[in-house]
Amino acid sequence: MRHTGILFFPAFDWSLGESHPEREERLLYTQEQLFEEGILDLPRIKQFSPRIASIHEGLRAQALFPTPQFHLEALDAHLIAAGSAILLGEARVRGDIANGFVLARPPGHHSGATVWGNRGFCTLNNEAILVNHLRAHFGIKKIAIVDTDVHHGDGTQDIFYHDPNVLFISLHQDGRTLYPGSGFVNEKGGPNAWGQTLNIPLPPGTGDEGYHYVLENWVLPRLQVFAPDLIINSAGQDNHFTDPLASMNLTAGGYGRITELLQPDLAVLEGGYSIEGALPYVNLAILLALAGEDYYHVREPQKLDRSVLTLSSIKPYIEGLKNQHQTINPHWTIQNKYFFPKGDWIYIPHSVYYDTEGFQEIRHDYIRQCSYCGGTVYIESSRSSFPGKSILVRIPFMACSECEQAGYELWDHLQHQREDADYGLLQNQLHDKQDLWQRKEGLR
Amino acid sequence: MPNQVGIDVGGTYTDAVFIQNGKIQNTAKVPTRAENLVETLLDAFDALKITNVPSINNVTVSTTLVTNAILQDRISPVSLLLFSGNGMSIDALPWPLSYLELSGEIDFRGREIEPPDLREWEKLQTSDFSENLVHVAIVGKFSHRNCLHEEQLAAYLRNLYPSIHVALGHEWGQANFFRRSMTTYLNLGVSDMYTNFSEQLQTALSARKIHAPVSILKADGGTLPLAKIRPIDSIYSGPAASVLAGLAQSDPKDSSIIIDIGGTTTDLGLVLSGNPLLSTKGAQIGPFSTLVRSLSVRSIPVGGDSVIRATDQGFFLESYRLGPAYCLGGNVPTPTDAMRYLGLIDYGNERLAEEGLASILPTERRTPKYLRELATAIIDRVVDRIADAVDSLKHEWEEEPAYKVWEVLHPHETKAFYTVVSGGGARGLITALGKRLNNPVQLGLFSEVSNALGAAMARPTFDCTLHLDTYMKYYRVAETGEQGKWTGSLRPHREVENFINTLAQKQAKQYEVAIYDLEKEPFDFFPIVQDYRTVGQIVRGAVHLRPGVIGRVHV
Repeated sequence: MRHTGILFFPAFDWSLGESHPEREERLLYTQEQLFEEGILDLPRIKQFSPRIASIHEGLRAQALFPTPQFHLEALDAHLIAAGSAILLGEARVRGDIANGFVLARPPGHHSGATVWGNRGFCTLNNEAILVNHLRAHFGIKKIAIVDTDVHHGDGTQDIFYHDPNVLFISLHQDGRTLYPGSGFVNEKGGPNAWGQTLNIPLPPGTGDEGYHYVLENWVLPRLQVFAPDLIINSAGQDNHFTDPLASMNLTAGGYGRITELLQPDLAVLEGGYSIEGALPYVNLAILLALAGEDYYHVREPQKLDRSVLTLSSIKPYIEGLKNQHQTINPHWTIQNKYFFPKGDWIYIPHSVYYDTEGFQEIRHDYIRQCSYCGGTVYIESSRSSFPGKSILVRIPFMACSECEQAGYELWDHLQHQREDADYGLLQNQLHDKQDLWQRKEGLR
Repeated sequence: MPNQVGIDVGGTYTDAVFIQNGKIQNTAKVPTRAENLVETLLDAFDALKITNVPSINNVTVSTTLVTNAILQDRISPVSLLLFSGNGMSIDALPWPLSYLELSGEIDFRGREIEPPDLREWEKLQTSDFSENLVHVAIVGKFSHRNCLHEEQLAAYLRNLYPSIHVALGHEWGQANFFRRSMTTYLNLGVSDMYTNFSEQLQTALSARKIHAPVSILKADGGTLPLAKIRPIDSIYSGPAASVLAGLAQSDPKDSSIIIDIGGTTTDLGLVLSGNPLLSTKGAQIGPFSTLVRSLSVRSIPVGGDSVIRATDQGFFLESYRLGPAYCLGGNVPTPTDAMRYLGLIDYGNERLAEEGLASILPTERRTPKYLRELATAIIDRVVDRIADAVDSLKHEWEEEPAYKVWEVLHPHETKAFYTVVSGGGARGLITALGKRLNNPVQLGLFSEVSNALGAAMARPTFDCTLHLDTYMKYYRVAETGEQGKWTGSLRPHREVENFINTLAQKQAKQYEVAIYDLEKEPFDFFPIVQDYRTVGQIVRGAVHLRPGVIGRVHV
């Protein structure tokens, strides 16, 4: 029998604040519901215990600015959530389980390639850390991440935007009506990974039927073309009709069906703040769907009393989006700085607002255009009202020799000639190595 | 330390021990008469030849009565009525019994979502309920949060059938509807038999002028008075007793692996810094999953009398027994024969041991060199099986789920384990075991009666787990299923400590347990927020008297 793995880590002693939506109570009722149902007694279910990720595992996907030490004390819970994703991912890749559900707090999908603090309740990106761990250790090449949280998975998008081997698909409530305000169809991926990001912003009130329609008619065909080795579902529960922050009107049964359609290898919990009305039921439905069990009896006590868009009104909207998506063309700005190694470097400015702590990150991203690999990435980042600049140099997985060379030249330049930078991280994904550099102390 | 008597009723033999001030005064072994446990217990007691019976302070019995009744399917018929509600369809679970589902639903906070349907209850009268039906177990999903529907149906049925025996699920106040249903069902199914046993035993003891209190050993290694115990809690007290015996002989701070090697099976347990490891899930008995708290123990079908069968490749260690070892007059070779041949034990006929082992070997190899090799290989095989089980038990302990950051940051550290081995097959295996486990191995005192010794040294266990929802204004106690109104504040702090202490005192009195050295589990406080305002708290906390022994024994 092939098992469905569950890693339940509710972090009952961690929260962002007593009245914050991301608080200790969040998975309390899910625990009651799952334990009371006897879900751990289902012969197909296998429970795993959490483990803590190392900083090294985190840095493989994300740069912690200004230094990792700056964050360390606040990271315990985040590192456990990321480590839990890794643990269950390994179990899946080894074949110990057929699929699995990482039901852990805190969530991660708003946390991007560079991290100055907590945003959208996220500090570390659980899925991204998992994906890069599996690629580094198990030689997995192609991974698809389907983000079904009601919010755009902007952090995950940011991390894999230039990665041709990761297909990132996000279905979410239209960014014009909801945090974080991004995730439009024109965000299709960087110059070397054009089309490997697919955003499907949906109108408020889409409902079960609308979601299933989009999955069947857009998401699943796209997945089939990509043919990934592994599908990861960023499973946010905030599309539920009782969610206080969003208005997508999905039911628990609707979530069960999404899981059944997607057939993810791993589902990783993201948001969802209807702590009583949705989470226990949605999580149960997802877990049952993963285990191939009947989820039709999972019914939330509250009745859906919001208005749901009809399929006939959603279809033309989706057709419009599809057209927009197909017709959009890339246009890149080339900006080669004097110290850049040879090649064309695409410049993409980027700024990120950290809502939890209320500050702005200003970023200048440069990507080496490459027809052989994902291209070396160079990011300069600074934080409002914070002195100094931090730099990320990323040599991608399966980098070509020119891009690897370019990465090391940038790294060398940073250490010896840059006066304005205080801190740097070299992510050499090709050889699974990371180097930290700090002006005061030099290379560490 | 007072005068203790411990009696362990095993499948084949019943052992007894009399301990005076921590010293073992006398031991006894009598054959178990399965059809008459009371007589067996008295035989064992008599065999101790205690001269001053009135001086006995305590008699503790570990009995297989309930275990065997369940495993041999000798329990009274019970009708199981379930308020299964919505959620997972309950037939997804491997139920080993039949049930009837009724409508009516409660949610995880204990709120009534859907009331029961009285028309269904009316139909119960005509179809399922006959004159001779007396046992009904009623279990509701989330009844541990609100027993309303269970109580309503019980009152309805009692009114119609005054002689009916009703058991309600919420009295096992822990989450897990599936296990709670089975635990309620089994406990009710064995209750008549247990009451009968208890009465007979009390009568017989009085006849022997034994007026000391009699306790029964539970699966969690604790004791409770004969009349207070819930019968199902007495399952698996044998393996629990062997862990306690090991505990009574080791340093109070040590971590040990306790191995009891019998003829047919070997029981294992873990002690961590003096505390026996409890299983996180409830005990599994036959096809039934229960909520019964038990020590984390393993039983593997390997022992001194396990059959050795010749194969093309050499030999195979079977997981069954066919009578005694060859050297003790049996018909098949066993590990005991290997031990005898190598001189590791001194009982049994040496020539017969050699003859038994030789039967495994081809004629041309029946030489001392090959016989020695074979005997050594057999012992290694037995030791490997035991060591694998030890590893799996340790692994289970290390893999326990954690639900808090603190628990992950403070993992169970790898400890130096001592090994205490007891049982009939122990003596000949200690050297090989020590080598294989790579740690010191000690042969237990009076290892042939170690379970009785464990029973004699056991002390009561006690747990009081509070779940308080100040917004719903309800509290519940997991161990007794007690549910009541909370009149305190919405955000209690100190008052909740006093509250749990009062509950614990009350509960201890009810169970006739003297509570001291209570271990407190820190309270968890979960703020309940509505519209950005904290409107109440869910508070969880517990006090425990962990399993342990009343002292240490010496020779």
